[in-house]
Amino acid sequence: MSDLASGRVAQQAAAAFRVLVVDDDPDMAGFLARMLTQQGMHTQVAADGRAALEAIELSPPDLVLLDVQMPGQSGFDICRRLKGQEATALLPVVLITALEDQDSRVRGIEAGADDFLSKPVRREELIARVNTLRRLHETRKELEGRRLAAEVQRKEAIRNAFARYISPQLAERVLRESGNGGEVFRDLSERTAVVALFADLRGFTRLSETVAVSIIVPMLNEFFAELTAAAHEHEGTIFSMAGDSLLVGFNVPLPQKDAVERAVATGRTMIQRFAPIAARWKAEHELVVGIGVGIESGEVVVGNVGAPSFMSYTMIGDAVNVAARLMQMAQIDEIMVGPRASLSLHSLLGRATPLDRRKVTLRGKSEPIEVLSLRVAVA
Amino acid sequence: MTAQTITVTVAKDLEDLIPTFMTNRNKELETLRVALGAGDMEQLRQLGHRMKGVGNSYGFELISVLGKNIEDGAKARDLPGLQACITEYTDYLARVTIVYE
Repeated sequence: MSDLASGRVAQQAAAAFRVLVVDDDPDMAGFLARMLTQQGMHTQVAADGRAALEAIELSPPDLVLLDVQMPGQSGFDICRRLKGQEATALLPVVLITALEDQDSRVRGIEAGADDFLSKPVRREELIARVNTLRRLHETRKELEGRRLAAEVQRKEAIRNAFARYISPQLAERVLRESGNGGEVFRDLSERTAVVALFADLRGFTRLSETVAVSIIVPMLNEFFAELTAAAHEHEGTIFSMAGDSLLVGFNVPLPQKDAVERAVATGRTMIQRFAPIAARWKAEHELVVGIGVGIESGEVVVGNVGAPSFMSYTMIGDAVNVAARLMQMAQIDEIMVGPRASLSLHSLLGRATPLDRRKVTLRGKSEPIEVLSLRVAVA
Repeated sequence: MTAQTITVTVAKDLEDLIPTFMTNRNKELETLRVALGAGDMEQLRQLGHRMKGVGNSYGFELISVLGKNIEDGAKARDLPGLQACITEYTDYLARVTIVYE
């Protein structure tokens, strides 16, 4: 049986229900506090409005019983102030007025009071009114708890969905900055500037021909695990994983001013992380493998592409094609950077940094383009 | 005026609050006298209002009745009426005895 069904939650809530009694007459305050304490509620007494506001700020109660006529600030003043502040607007306030004082009731309603009690106070009426507000309070707290739980679940679902594409840190940032990560991805079905990185496993063809089929998949998983970790480390978004290659995007779904730098750092980390595995595979299977990386920047179309039953978060454009071609040309442990990404990289690294610059003609392109080549040293 | 006692029944769970309550009523009576002597109608009104609220909450119906009369008398500046109320309150406090149930 659940806590709620067994009534345990209700009992705990009742025990924790706290009432602030505000009355300048100590006998009246003592009487009210005694009645409520007998109902299992926790009471605190304040002798005037200022003490009440201090007590509420220090430890907000669940309900305030507020006398109307007090020296200094009246009950109306206090009530109006509480209802006007976001933090206390929902705090139930019961105003205590004279029985025949209809004007006070009208003023109390205008001040936002939730209910009224008449003096002299009849204990049955006091308990009935407070219990009604307590039930409302508990229902509101329960609904708020459910709403928060649903919100946490919703964010967790979005986080899990994102985890297929982006690092946990970036997922948190998307949730934090957008409030609803789904909107970020949906709204990106448009042309946007990205940096595309393609990485693949050089020597994979020989691997697939010489290694037993049963261990190819675990080996590929080991390979992709390192590449994915490297992409997440630099907050890249993984767009596709096919065969032995991986496509990672930067500056998407959220802007990254240093997107090219991140892409190059990701390529370097991929190569360095995979190096020990490559060395082991060489020892175990006599395979010469490594990673080749191609990077290019430019405007592409980003969005969820596919059929309602199967969709993929995809980017399409020349920058992606150039990055793929450069990856195919890259040697083991080499990062090839296309001309547009090179411009940003040059300003980042400074013109004095020695870089291997060469002209290449890509498949499907009529004109040669100038690319940068970075060789990554591995231990 | 006879010296007959006036019995008031008070809830048992308020018993420990009553000594302080009665002490405060006697202090209140003295303040009423001083306020009447000074012609301080505003203080009389406030004291009457307080008596009206607290009296019957504890079970002392007459304190609430006298409180209302004092509040109304102060608003009307009815000095003889106020004096009569204070005299009745003095008599009441002298004769009241409390039974707890």
